[in-house]
Amino acid sequence: MNDGPLIVQSDKTILLEVDHDLATEARHAIAAFAELERAPEHVHSYRLTPLGLWNARAAGLDAEQVLDTLLKYSRFPVPHALLIDIEETMSRYGRLRLEKDPQHGLVMRTDDYPVLEEVIRAKKIQPLLGPRIDGETVVVHSSQRGQLKQLLLKIGWPAEDLAGFVDGQPHPIALNEDGWALRPYQKVATENFWAGGSGVVVLPCGAGKTLVGAAAMATSSTTTLILVTNTVSARQWKDELLKRTSLTEEEIGEYSGAVKEIRPVTIATYQVLTMKRGGLYPHLELLDANDWGLILYDEVHLLPAPIFRMTADLQARRRLGLTATLVREDGREGEVFSLIGPKRYDAPWKDIEAQGYIAPADCVEVRVDLPKDERVAYAMAEDADKYRLCATSETKSGVVEQLVRQHAGEQLLVIGQYIDQLDEIGERLDAPVIKGETSVKQRQKLFDAFRAGEITTLVVSKVANFSIDLPEASVAIQVSGSFGSRQEEAQRLGRLLRPKQDGRAARFYTLVARDTLDQDFAAKRQRFLAEQGYAYTILDAKDIKPAA
Amino acid sequence: MSSIRALTAELAARSDESLRGLFTARPDLLQPPVPDFAALAARSCARVSVQRALETLDEPALQVLEAVHLTTDEDAGRSASSRSLKPLIAGSSLTALDSILKKLQALALLYRAGTSAPASYYPVSTLKEVIGLYPAGLGRRYAELVRAQPAFAERSVALVAQLAAAGHPLAAASSPAEAADALEEWLRSGGALEPLLAGAPPKTVDLLRRFSSWAVGALPNAQRIVSFSDSAEQSPVDWLLARGLLVPLDSEHVELPFGVGVGLRGAIVTDFRLTPPRAELAFTRASLRRNAALGSIAETLRLLTDLVQLVRAAPLATLRAGGVGVRELRRLSDGLRIEPQAAAVLLEIAALAGLLRLDVDTSHWVAEDDEWRGLPRPEQWLWVVAAWLGSDRAPSLVGEPLPAVRSGAPATINPLAGEAQRPDAPLIRLKTLGLMRELTEEAGGDAATAPVLTAEAVLARAEWSNPRLLRRFRRLVPGILAEAELLGLTGSGALTPAGLAVAEGDGSRARSLLEESLPAAVDRVLLQADLTAVAPGYLAPELSNELLTLADAEGQGPATIYRFSAASIRRALDAGRDAASILDFLGRHAATAIPQPLAYLVEDTASRYGRLHVGAAGSYLAGDDEAALAELLHHPRSAQLGLRRLAPTVLIARAASREVAAVLRELGHSPALEDGEEQLLRLRRPAAAAALRDGEEQLLRLRRPAAAAALRPSLQAAGPRVPDDESVAAQLAVLRSRPAVSPASAEGGPQLGIETLRRAIRQKKEVRMRIVDGQGNHRQEVLVPLAVAGGRVRVFDPRRDTERVVSVHRVMDVELIDEQPGN
Repeated sequence: MNDGPLIVQSDKTILLEVDHDLATEARHAIAAFAELERAPEHVHSYRLTPLGLWNARAAGLDAEQVLDTLLKYSRFPVPHALLIDIEETMSRYGRLRLEKDPQHGLVMRTDDYPVLEEVIRAKKIQPLLGPRIDGETVVVHSSQRGQLKQLLLKIGWPAEDLAGFVDGQPHPIALNEDGWALRPYQKVATENFWAGGSGVVVLPCGAGKTLVGAAAMATSSTTTLILVTNTVSARQWKDELLKRTSLTEEEIGEYSGAVKEIRPVTIATYQVLTMKRGGLYPHLELLDANDWGLILYDEVHLLPAPIFRMTADLQARRRLGLTATLVREDGREGEVFSLIGPKRYDAPWKDIEAQGYIAPADCVEVRVDLPKDERVAYAMAEDADKYRLCATSETKSGVVEQLVRQHAGEQLLVIGQYIDQLDEIGERLDAPVIKGETSVKQRQKLFDAFRAGEITTLVVSKVANFSIDLPEASVAIQVSGSFGSRQEEAQRLGRLLRPKQDGRAARFYTLVARDTLDQDFAAKRQRFLAEQGYAYTILDAKDIKPAA
Repeated sequence: MSSIRALTAELAARSDESLRGLFTARPDLLQPPVPDFAALAARSCARVSVQRALETLDEPALQVLEAVHLTTDEDAGRSASSRSLKPLIAGSSLTALDSILKKLQALALLYRAGTSAPASYYPVSTLKEVIGLYPAGLGRRYAELVRAQPAFAERSVALVAQLAAAGHPLAAASSPAEAADALEEWLRSGGALEPLLAGAPPKTVDLLRRFSSWAVGALPNAQRIVSFSDSAEQSPVDWLLARGLLVPLDSEHVELPFGVGVGLRGAIVTDFRLTPPRAELAFTRASLRRNAALGSIAETLRLLTDLVQLVRAAPLATLRAGGVGVRELRRLSDGLRIEPQAAAVLLEIAALAGLLRLDVDTSHWVAEDDEWRGLPRPEQWLWVVAAWLGSDRAPSLVGEPLPAVRSGAPATINPLAGEAQRPDAPLIRLKTLGLMRELTEEAGGDAATAPVLTAEAVLARAEWSNPRLLRRFRRLVPGILAEAELLGLTGSGALTPAGLAVAEGDGSRARSLLEESLPAAVDRVLLQADLTAVAPGYLAPELSNELLTLADAEGQGPATIYRFSAASIRRALDAGRDAASILDFLGRHAATAIPQPLAYLVEDTASRYGRLHVGAAGSYLAGDDEAALAELLHHPRSAQLGLRRLAPTVLIARAASREVAAVLRELGHSPALEDGEEQLLRLRRPAAAAALRDGEEQLLRLRRPAAAAALRPSLQAAGPRVPDDESVAAQLAVLRSRPAVSPASAEGGPQLGIETLRRAIRQKKEVRMRIVDGQGNHRQEVLVPLAVAGGRVRVFDPRRDTERVVSVHRVMDVELIDEQPGN
């Protein structure tokens, strides 16, 4: 029998034995069509999904190659039904093509007449189509390009978009590679994206997504609209672009709640675009304000639904999505695929980490025993209050103090959900607290001080979760979190994954109240983190070494 | 001469070798052994036996036999020879016909009409009943139609006159029988149809062509009144009906008479093929075949193991109507994470392999002992395959609709229900495998490719090789192919080397082929920090059993993932493990170190296990007086109560409350009985019953291994039932030691008698019958038999001028009155 590193399961997962000699080779071979689902220390598991297979098709892989890869590296026979399913699924992509016809404009074309017949009979699709030109071609209303792609994906016939893009208004942008250079994988990611014209680049936090964006802008050299999650993130984009490209302050505009500038490169927040007044989106005109040659979406996995709808109308412009993960809590991965584009580059976190660009992280779960009175209070509480009660236990504050003392001198974050608890901890540690009501200016000031090393400890609430850059944080202590969301976990760890100067492992503590809901959530968190391949240890609070 | 007598003489004259061939081809002739050649001849003419023999015939042999049947008439002394058959079978040659005729004679379906050359033959008399109403797809003769269809008989005389008037050479007729003869004679001359059809309306020939393979067609208002006119407006159907070329059977069907059919075909058989039509098969890659087959074998064995496990945990209830209901099936399919239909097939296979057994006391399907589970996988596979081959269940029929019972909702066949029983399944399965082997060998191809066998290809071949079984093939072959794929006899639709070995009945070769390709069980798992253990392949049964105690299995496929959780560890602690033994077990079987979170989980769960204790007690004793309780605890009289102290003021007793109360009263206390006492008392009885059942179980378990070993299926047992050499030799010895016809031949008698009756019916002759009446008195009568069927004979008594019915078993002997003795 074959002695490969893969075991292909009939439930469409692929197990990869990491310690196998051929593991790296096999990993590269399957990464193109399978999504990494879990990456614990010995056996990684990948999942085959229609989207993954279509992504592979979009990248030029055909079913034959996928089957050969599976058969070549599989240790055991591959379930035959799965092979047939893969072939069938992959053959669906690209049977329908959106093309530009010199005479009729945007058309949908196929070589497979029955497919077109099936599709144009679908109730929802009919109104998006114009007259039939011949057996294999039908006119598409150009305004419906996005919606059509979305609907086609839904009925399982994803279309290949070959209709091309408008060039947009040219604007010279160059990378300013002075004392730094694009990393090889960033280059590959940019090239892949440009070749495809639109799509998503998946890179872990800290792997330099902004630079991929900048490189794409330089390649395009057109006016660019950048959509980001919030104002802080917008500022960081601006700083980074000023530092890394030939763009000047005058060329970059910010379009947010506070400022509304439209410049050749405009950075807008999702929030301002999705703001609704009297049933209308007053800031939607931004999208047409300029003949944008490129639209960048930061943190695609957080893209709110209205943006999808707007994006559906922007199908003629080049679109680049940047994200750390394609997994969306709301399961709208399909819309990302059909509206922004297929995945153009993906690097598993651990791979990049192994290349030394990201610091590895140690996760430590500290189990705290609740004192007797708190246990009684917890036992008698209403269900709705239970989590708050156990998560904000007083004993946690003591443990935080202990840990802070233990890591004295390191850049340290305390993360939590409940403001009262954070305030109390801030007081005990004599550290500033950043929460929702902290002004942007104050936040920036504190972050800058933290970055400069003037402050070593920061207490932050949920607001710090997304798109801020704290390069020197090496220890994080999570005292409470919101219901073990995978997204949040990845983000929080992302904060710590920034490369550190002395190459030390970052450390991520989670404080968990024993025998409570907190512990149930912790079990989910543990599973997720261990599945992401992080070292994970569980300690009892009493085992924490007192500060040396 | 009667066919049985002729056959008796012929069989007696045959060589041992030739008889051996006959017994191999028709094994039912030997079961049970026959006393003499007359009995053998009688049995080989029996309806059922002839039917079985016909089922083994291939298309050309059957066609020849049909032609022989259609062209011979023993009463009229018309026999068939290769020379007489050749013009009737288009595309045949004398040598081919001769060899087929010899073969049919060897099978005792034909016997020689005389000793003179060239050889000519008669069919055995029962062939007429067995071969069907429309042999070769041709209709009945006019003579028969006239007898069966009074309406047609009525106008037959006029019809002959009309045809003659239209210028066709028909003899004049005055009665329906004469008319039928005239029509028959006219058509037999050949070339009679052509001038007639020349004047037919357009499309008549097209219409007739539809009758080329079958003589009966559906026609609305078939008994319409039609006129014999030559108008071109007449529709083709009316035109044909008017000329008697189609005969209405009832209001919806018409029949094309024999003479017309032959006239149109120009022969009796037109599609004579000595060799089977070559199948056009697609090819798949040999590597794909191997992958699919091995994958499917591993998967099926895994699922069977899981299924038995599920049934062991909770036996399957049966429905009153038989079989397992949809709710139980749903439970299985959920547990196995497969579709209900797939679960049903698997359940059937588990049951036919004897992995499950119907407990007649409870009407539940329960899991059998673990003998199968402990075998190496190639053995497990061979066990299941052999059982499947020999089983009279048709698993794939489960879920198919049943003919609607009354007006109720459409029902389907339930798994393990009687409706999926097919006594002919082993035969069809074996033949199907044989055909698959034939097709694979014919298709050729190089080593890297393998022909894909579709149900159509197999059926097309079956139509040639066993036309009489075609309907049964049609019903079962798709299911057999699906099951063969499931069992890895085929992979990706192509027969695998192991499947080929099974088709050839070579179980040990199949097993050794599998041993080479199925990897041995692994005995190491990979432990990970996400609290999983991954078994990278098929895990040794004892290891997987233990892991199932410690963790929950997930995942579907060759590898199993075991997930540990606090709940699963608690389950293991309940089962008597402790932290140290769990960690020791994991340490021994882990390919890697035990991750810290897992060790923590085990130790943490174990350290907090048992904060609450649960135990059984017959009753409790509570009181405020600690001293009194302490005294009671140590009193010698209370030893029998099995008292234990739980707290200073609480004791428990093994004995029931009433017993405790009695003892307490003896000791001078006055206890108060609290609620629940009744229940406590009652609890003892089921416990006793359970003990009894345990005893029975043990007895059964003692008996079972021997039974199981005997039940273990083997390929040989599943193979075709060919009589062994020993019994054939014994039979031959018996036959040779007796005269050909012994007067006391128990078996030959009735057959001969019935044959005589049939002949008398055909020739409308009187017979002399010796009949036993209700009192046991013999009586001899001269009667005219009219019909014989269903063990009874209808006779006309010319002396009393009445008809009556006599049971065949009351008839002692029959004699044709005008027949010369010895003839």
